[in-house]
Amino acid sequence: MLMGQEEAGLGVLTAGQELYAPGPGWLRLVGRFIRRKPLGAFGIGVVLVMSLAAGAAPWLSRYDAEERFLTANPAYAPGTFEPEQKQDARAGPSLKHWFGTDQGGRDNYARLVWGARRSLGVALGALLFAILFGTSIGIVSGYYRGWLDMILQRLMDSIQAFPAMLILLLLVALTKSSLVTLSMGLGFVALASVQRIIRSAVLTAREEPHVEAARAIGCSAPRLMCVHILPNVAAPIIVVFSIGLGSIILADAALAFLGLAPIEPPSWGMMLNEGRGYMNSQPSTMLAAGLAITLTVLGFNLAGDALRDFLDPRIRLQ
Amino acid sequence: MHQYIIRRALLNIVVILLVITGVFIGLRATPGDFAVSQAAGRVTNVNSGEATALVRHDLGLDRPLLEQYGDFVSGFFRGDLGNSFATKRPVMAELKDRLAPSVELAILEILIAVVVAVPVGILSAVRQDTWLDYILRFFAIFWLGVPSFFVGVLLLYFLSRWAHWSPPITDYQDFFENPWMNLQAMVLPAVAGGLAAGAIIMRFLRSQLLEVLHQDYVRTAWAKGLRERTVIMRHALKNALIPVLTVVGLLLATIASGNVVLETLFNLPGLGGYAVNAIRQNDYPVVQGVVLLVATSLVFVNLVVDVAYAWLDPRIRYG
Repeated sequence: MLMGQEEAGLGVLTAGQELYAPGPGWLRLVGRFIRRKPLGAFGIGVVLVMSLAAGAAPWLSRYDAEERFLTANPAYAPGTFEPEQKQDARAGPSLKHWFGTDQGGRDNYARLVWGARRSLGVALGALLFAILFGTSIGIVSGYYRGWLDMILQRLMDSIQAFPAMLILLLLVALTKSSLVTLSMGLGFVALASVQRIIRSAVLTAREEPHVEAARAIGCSAPRLMCVHILPNVAAPIIVVFSIGLGSIILADAALAFLGLAPIEPPSWGMMLNEGRGYMNSQPSTMLAAGLAITLTVLGFNLAGDALRDFLDPRIRLQ
Repeated sequence: MHQYIIRRALLNIVVILLVITGVFIGLRATPGDFAVSQAAGRVTNVNSGEATALVRHDLGLDRPLLEQYGDFVSGFFRGDLGNSFATKRPVMAELKDRLAPSVELAILEILIAVVVAVPVGILSAVRQDTWLDYILRFFAIFWLGVPSFFVGVLLLYFLSRWAHWSPPITDYQDFFENPWMNLQAMVLPAVAGGLAAGAIIMRFLRSQLLEVLHQDYVRTAWAKGLRERTVIMRHALKNALIPVLTVVGLLLATIASGNVVLETLFNLPGLGGYAVNAIRQNDYPVVQGVVLLVATSLVFVNLVVDVAYAWLDPRIRYG
């Protein structure tokens, strides 16, 4: 009995090795993934931590993001203009303020945690916008081809002919910037490349025998596109989703860094820009914000790469 | 080939027309008006509504939209982009002043990117799956995640702390008048932007080179007993570099985007800061001019890259 299993294990190699590894099945799978793709696992870890911070911001943040902490003013003396208390500004890391405080005496840790919610929220919204419209345009363009395809593709070319940052500046600075317009602007910039990938997937999918068969039995064009072609381009959509998030978070941070994003809720880009004003006396704000952006973008890129290898090794963005 | 170039050039013109039409409509469809903010700071004895109307009339903003659009497009074909609302100077002349620092920064960034990425990419591919390859690849992935403006801020911080050096805060000096001062102002943004672009080039070059190294003609070169240096530099690298060229061309768009932030951070009087200001002030002709200039250069650079691609690699034919 045991021998038989072992022999079967030798035949199926990996499956056989797993039979004798300790622990429940999913744990073994996780362990194997970490050993095979340490960077991808690291990325997924970062994504999980940041998602947790974003989801549970009210419970994890310890303080309110806008609360200004006060301490006794050592220069206080009755009868002078010195106030009794002043803002506990630009404090270094301590047990009370894990990452120090900013120029207004606000807790950097709380602002970072709320920044995670804002950053991920905006990026998610942008990507959903890009994928919703990008997929629709890509499918319609790839399915009908001909003059409609030509017009749509030239429109998309003209979006791509702008440097992304200029479009964003235009969209965000001209509409009174809110998180929603910011998100839509970022999604709009990503739209062109998303639809291009979807379109090329549709071009192959529409020639497949099952689509041909569906057409032959008289399916309508909308039904063909939604029921028969859409499931075939699901993999590229997921890949675009995972790879796009990192660059959208980066673009969002750049806009906030330039001071073009709303000042509430706090964002990492804004913190980095404020922090560099006093980095020579207290670098903790600047470092914490910059490292948060770096770690998050890196994590999303690594996780996206791993997911892409897993789902479809052929697709490459850029 | 000639036909292809002509067709692409004509298509590019269509794309540019679409771009400037988009900007034209986008600017006027969104709230915020130069005239309102301008009139607010003016004479007090006229009520603000009248003052605004006066300014609008001066700027020609009270004319029908179609007429404004016609003027704008016909001016575009004559090489006249109108006058800046804020300075009243021709946009064309202002763009010319602002172009030099931006172009210089982009060139320096590409130079740094290539100088760093090509040797590193070769090393990483030739020593595939050794610890050296892992370290180099990790650095490349790492640089993709670090925002160039954070690198810029870190460079400023650590240089002033450890080397007691920071870029000169004097006015920007032209390269041809005062190259030393100019380079001092340029070096940090060029390094910050160049390394980010270098990471992309390195990763791409590595994968291309790996592909080429497994081809038959490279095995033949090894079998002939050629030195490693000759096989890699002469035989493999030549073919691996061709697709990299396209990526470098595409990177120009990314670099132009990133430079908006870097120019603002390092106070360079380039197109980036100019555009940000103009957008904040609703200076329509300037915004239109910058967008037009950048879009035009990008689409034609892409065309040149595609043509160069076919020229370098005779297997590629455009129909």
